[in-house]
Amino acid sequence: MEKAAVSKQEVLAKRPMQVLEKIRENLERLNEKMEIMIELQKHGKKDLQQPLPDAPLDVMTLLSMPDHLRKTAMSLCRMGRATAEEISLQTKRARAVESAYLNQLVIMGYLKKERNGRKAYFFVDKENQGVSLG
Amino acid sequence: MLVLGKIIAVHSYKGGTGKTLLSLNLSATFAEHGKKVCLFDLDFRAPSLSTLLKIEKSEHWLNDYLNGVCEIDKVLIDLSSRVHNGGQLFVGLANPSTEAIRDMSAKDRKWEMRALGRLLALRTSILGDKGFDYLILDTSPGLQYSSINAVVSADLVLVATTFDRSDVDGTRRMLRELYDLFEKKTEVVLNKVLDVSSRTGKEDVQTKLKDIYQVPLLGIVPCFCDVLKSEGGVIFAQEKPAHPFTKILEEMANRIDGIA
Repeated sequence: MEKAAVSKQEVLAKRPMQVLEKIRENLERLNEKMEIMIELQKHGKKDLQQPLPDAPLDVMTLLSMPDHLRKTAMSLCRMGRATAEEISLQTKRARAVESAYLNQLVIMGYLKKERNGRKAYFFVDKENQGVSLG
Repeated sequence: MLVLGKIIAVHSYKGGTGKTLLSLNLSATFAEHGKKVCLFDLDFRAPSLSTLLKIEKSEHWLNDYLNGVCEIDKVLIDLSSRVHNGGQLFVGLANPSTEAIRDMSAKDRKWEMRALGRLLALRTSILGDKGFDYLILDTSPGLQYSSINAVVSADLVLVATTFDRSDVDGTRRMLRELYDLFEKKTEVVLNKVLDVSSRTGKEDVQTKLKDIYQVPLLGIVPCFCDVLKSEGGVIFAQEKPAHPFTKILEEMANRIDGIA
């Protein structure tokens, strides 16, 4: 009986933490969406033109990209899979800027994004890429 | 993993500028300096390293590695027995058969993207795991997928050029429209130069080149009759250590060591 009461107390104590964690995750997602909107306003929609279906991230595509996106895409090609923070260490630009550019590349269809807990990882589409970029 | 080695791509706008001879002799020079060096023939449209090194057969080619058929270990051929000073020299060859050349010419963009991934992975496998000091990539001339992939994968690009007017023009454009976009560290090697015997002649050429290309000049290689007569059959860095061409290669290698 006493044991059950303790466990209920533990669950109740954890609940506010879970709610806070959920709020934080949602705020992060909202932040990412706002960053994309800011980038859209800055560079216009021309950067986000959809590529041909299944267009791979090859060197010719990299060459035709605007400079700011090429730098981000090149860093990710070298790293294979990375967070915006890790890319920002390579490019020496702010994390928020890299986050926006990476999200743009996801919208353009060149990159994929997946969440692992709190962190968002970006990578070149494995189906297209076929091998690890190591 | 801390990677200390460097990848060097040897590229040019036009063919016949001496990329392969430069790549091979520079690799041999580094090896003679005691370094662990790997040289790859990425000129899949006109493979020539196998002929120059007199290696007729290989169990696996670089074509197989880029096709995902084998790992890079299978491609490496150890030529360290030809090195005198304890250095190590390995090569990876492009398949010279007509069928392989035709196959490589017909690859699509997705394949080229995977090839880029495999070239980028060499930083970990060749420089990291195997501890090579230098990986030198001999490329196809011009703006082709395979050569741009090599340029993107490299830390330093050496551009072999001559004073041929169309080569100068194309090289200048390539520096601006390719290397600058990928933010590549680039050095120019002027090959087959006539009349640089005098000091003023050499200085004139240096000034002229810096004005044209706006990038550092790694070296000037005069047109040596001995080099032409050897028909590519002599590795000067190994077989003729006192030759002026070998001395120029040593200066270049030392300068690259400094850059790296």
